[in-house]
Amino acid sequence: MTTEGPAPTTQVYQLYIKASQEEVWDAITNPSVVAKFFHGARVESTYQVGAKLRSLSPDGSDVWGDNTILECDPPRRLVHTWRSLYNPDMATEPESRVTWEIEAQPGGFAKLTLIHDQLEGSPKTAASVRGWSYILSNLKTVMETGAALPPVT
Amino acid sequence: MMGCVDDEDLVFKALADPTRRLLLDRLFERDGMTLGELEAEVPQLTRFGVMKHLAVLEAAGLVATRKQGRHKHHYLNPVPIRLIYERWIDKYRDRRAAALLDLKDQLEARR
Repeated sequence: MTTEGPAPTTQVYQLYIKASQEEVWDAITNPSVVAKFFHGARVESTYQVGAKLRSLSPDGSDVWGDNTILECDPPRRLVHTWRSLYNPDMATEPESRVTWEIEAQPGGFAKLTLIHDQLEGSPKTAASVRGWSYILSNLKTVMETGAALPPVT
Repeated sequence: MMGCVDDEDLVFKALADPTRRLLLDRLFERDGMTLGELEAEVPQLTRFGVMKHLAVLEAAGLVATRKQGRHKHHYLNPVPIRLIYERWIDKYRDRRAAALLDLKDQLEARR
């Protein structure tokens, strides 16, 4: 048996999607697609360095994220800050960082790597963002079949 | 590098070996280890053995590596297991199977 210690302060998620590098970039920066794979979030950003990356609950009543774009190099690399405003315990933890890297692969695939790091001061956030697995597998399903997975229960 | 992308055969084959499952468990406990640190975790294996098993895990996408300075760090990538779960486990996890698992847990807890 293994015991579950504190969640890692650098977490790496990687998957292959049957799509081009540009299509994956468009999906992660297009609010209508993001809503399909990210709990119905309403995302607003100009995707310029220094711009805000805001996300709201589906009905717009709650602020889920009020982050900042740190790097933007379409269609390869997007880096933004992260704070989990949707949970009061996590909202008070320090900011962490999310990096999306997209690489073209042979055979019509793109390799997407998501790195969530700088979580040293944010143990609750670190434990909760293990949910990236669900989000990214949902993104893969949306892109490859057009349908979203049923919500997590 | 992944030899054949998006291949669940590679994931099942990688998971079918107890040493590779042990390496995944060690990374689950402490993510981001270097080759040297992983070697110390499994003293029964040679450096070559650890490298060989890590290569299989990496080819299956279960381990992702990142270079930081001179060191290569190994991270447990949970996404392929999530995909297997959605494809092969969630679908079959019906109420009857759950009841049998409860029975198994109860019987084993008595030992």
